[in-house]
Amino acid sequence: MKLYNVKLLTVTCEILAQKNVIDILAKHHISGYTTYEVEGNGARGLRGQGLKNEKNVKVEVIMQEDKLQDVIEEIARTLFTNFAIVLYVGDVGVLRTEKFV
Amino acid sequence: MDILGLIQSNLLTPIVLFFIFGIIAARIKSDLKIPDAISEFLPIYLLAAIGLHGGIEMRNTGFEKMLVPMLAAIGLSLLFTLNHYQILRRLGKFNLFDSYALASTYGAVGAVTFSVGLSFLKNQGVTSEGFLAAVLAILEPVAFILAIFLTNMAVSKQMKTKKESLGEISESEIGMGITETKTNLKQVLHESITGKAIVILLGSIIIGYMIGEEGFESISIVFDELFTGAIVIFLIEMGIIAGQRLDDIKKVGVFLIAFSIIMPTFNGIIGVLVATAIGLSLGGAVMFGLLLASASFIAAPAVLRHAIPQAKPSLYITSALGITFPYNIIVLLPIMFMVSSIVHNEGSIDLLNYILKGLI
Repeated sequence: MKLYNVKLLTVTCEILAQKNVIDILAKHHISGYTTYEVEGNGARGLRGQGLKNEKNVKVEVIMQEDKLQDVIEEIARTLFTNFAIVLYVGDVGVLRTEKFV
Repeated sequence: MDILGLIQSNLLTPIVLFFIFGIIAARIKSDLKIPDAISEFLPIYLLAAIGLHGGIEMRNTGFEKMLVPMLAAIGLSLLFTLNHYQILRRLGKFNLFDSYALASTYGAVGAVTFSVGLSFLKNQGVTSEGFLAAVLAILEPVAFILAIFLTNMAVSKQMKTKKESLGEISESEIGMGITETKTNLKQVLHESITGKAIVILLGSIIIGYMIGEEGFESISIVFDELFTGAIVIFLIEMGIIAGQRLDDIKKVGVFLIAFSIIMPTFNGIIGVLVATAIGLSLGGAVMFGLLLASASFIAAPAVLRHAIPQAKPSLYITSALGITFPYNIIVLLPIMFMVSSIVHNEGSIDLLNYILKGLI
């Protein structure tokens, strides 16, 4: 079967930044995403212990390349300075490209 | 009983012992941990129990009595928040965002501290006014709203001066910056009022008011007799989290450590005196003082991280949970109980004399 190339954006961030990330996605008319709670260690120390509000979350979004630049630019500009956040992008193949407009 | 004796006997209550036990467990790097679902459930349970009791008692006493204490609490909370800000900004040299975040953390109330206070009074055989649960609910968002409002004002002002110095050219760019930096107060208001703590508290107060003593009987085994036991379990978790943060305390600096002990003491004792003056009972005055002395560490991060994201959460969580909370439940509660007993026995008129005598 033919696979179509789209982008997978993964954002790992503190749980309290999740809403901000999803708001940005919504602003760019991206309504589909997957989140899950994760733990880990990084520049802001061991995360995921203790209070619920200090846990980390991973947000995965598949989108077309043309939207990607705007989305990551806005995330970087508004969230990078104040939140524990890591962002990376990968190429993935999907079967139904119309799902990810 | 003298004050050291009271502190000592408070140290040997299950609540405090289990809290200290939690700290030790974290220090020896034990993997002991209260499951997530339970530690999320317990604050809800505690607030429901507090609310039910408050509601039932309000049915007996009516609403008129709570108006003055409620207004006094709101007034003091706002005043203290402004006072904290000045101290942190001027003496502590914290930046604007950290100052407001810390000021409101200490101006806000701690529901867990409130629960511990109730069980402390139970232990001493003293009751407190039920409407204080309603004061707890109202007070919860007050300090945050003030701090967020003032932060927004300060940010706008900074932007304006920047704009003037830069000239007209980049006006649109700065305009964009303002809307992004400023937090929508309406949204914050909505979020903090519909937050789970306030919703469960107010809901339980209303239900408690509706069911009264008779209706409560059928659920009292869960919401009355299990109350202290539930706090104990929750405090193991609080102890573990506080223990994990002990190393961070060094990072918050001497000033903030002193602040997180001196301010609650000051606020709490003022609270006890004011409550006595407006006619609250011995126990009621202690709880009123505790409301003003406590710092918020469960609600604060959720509100402040969105409203003032520039502020460092490590500062306000560590100081509120790692220093102020243990200090409040171990040392300050007995002190406030002592002060309240003294002013209630001697009558508030002799208060000044007593303080003077104490100083000499």
